[in-house]
Amino acid sequence: MPTLTSKRHKVEDLDAVEFCFQQGWTDGLPVVPPTEDRVWAMLNAAGLKPEEQIGYIENRAVGVSAEKVALNAVMAGCRPEYMKVVVAAVQGICDPAWAYHGPGTSTGGAGVLIIVNGPIARQLDINAGDNLFGPGWRANATIGRAVRLVMRNIAGSRPGLLDRGTLGHPGKLSYVIAENESESPWTPLHVERGFKKEQSAVTVLAAQGPQQFYNQLSNTAAGILTTAADAMRSSGGIGSQPEYTVIIAGEHMKTIAADGWTKKEIRQFLFEKTQTTHEHLKRTERMAGAVQPGDDTKMRSLVAAPEDFLVVAAGGKAGAFSGFIAGWGSKRSSRAVTKEVK
Amino acid sequence: MELLDPTVEQPAQSISFAPRPSALAGKRVALIENTKHNSDRLLEKIGDILKKEQGVASFKIFRKHNSSVPAHKEVIDEVKAGYDVMVAGVGD
Repeated sequence: MPTLTSKRHKVEDLDAVEFCFQQGWTDGLPVVPPTEDRVWAMLNAAGLKPEEQIGYIENRAVGVSAEKVALNAVMAGCRPEYMKVVVAAVQGICDPAWAYHGPGTSTGGAGVLIIVNGPIARQLDINAGDNLFGPGWRANATIGRAVRLVMRNIAGSRPGLLDRGTLGHPGKLSYVIAENESESPWTPLHVERGFKKEQSAVTVLAAQGPQQFYNQLSNTAAGILTTAADAMRSSGGIGSQPEYTVIIAGEHMKTIAADGWTKKEIRQFLFEKTQTTHEHLKRTERMAGAVQPGDDTKMRSLVAAPEDFLVVAAGGKAGAFSGFIAGWGSKRSSRAVTKEVK
Repeated sequence: MELLDPTVEQPAQSISFAPRPSALAGKRVALIENTKHNSDRLLEKIGDILKKEQGVASFKIFRKHNSSVPAHKEVIDEVKAGYDVMVAGVGD
């Protein structure tokens, strides 16, 4: 019979929620007290043994066990059936390509953007629509919170200590969305990244906060994406070439699809239209050195390649808004990782 | 009520440092550059100072893949094989 090996604390004279605050286990909000029966429910729902290793963060020399992930998922308020999504996301941030040590600690203040694809998103009611990044859905609010608590309590990314984000952003509490696959005209993100449509997968990105843009004027794909490109051109990742996530919501999705544009065409258009001259980068003090002859026609792209725009159909049906998210740092420092939800 | 601890109890580790040379004169120095803006210029300056003021024999700057990761194996192997002293740090 397997047992849980975490240290045990008897709490008698104090409210259990308050005890968790006092131990420094929380993100600033109250947590669900992690009791043995709740932890077992979490492990059993995902078919995991407590000692199984979910991931290993090489640069921090930290192994992440199923028991500890389950404990943090309980505290975050996850339902047991969310556990396997949390596990896939934790595997993602432990992947060397995500390169934990940068986004887990950096002054750049990255959140973990978690994009869920496949049947699991509908089964768990992970929001892909109205108020995409806002409150209201337990799965969205607690899955990302569990990942952040894992970062805090297992990997040591405590704000002000190892997590030195200068500004951070609200997505560092939880930053989970699903792709609106049931209404999207496009190939889902996880299929583009090598999985089958009927598989479920989680894509994690080290990411800055979301920004929205507005276009109620144009009824063409090129028109809407011209606005997008203009808003993106000097956004948070300018100069450093991270990956960008592009969120296309209901009205824009219909307009762009009506023109027959695929995700590939969207990426190519954005790649061409988000270029900046070296002259501009130098004049705005984003590139070192004096402006040289020819810098006004020498271009630097926002991302290194068109594939570095991850296009996701999501957001409310109504409203002429869509959005984008600059990745943290550069693609050299951290890349999006997709893991299957098993 | 009994609660389980969500943190990781770190196993005790003992780390031994390489013995420091008593002087830098005549030593070969490896400087690890973390790719951040101007870190190469700063290290060039440090290398020059080490030569002028401490009499080091030579210095070479090694560039990491990026600032988020430790120096990669090729760098470590080359430094181990051909250098007496290594300077690494995070400039930000």
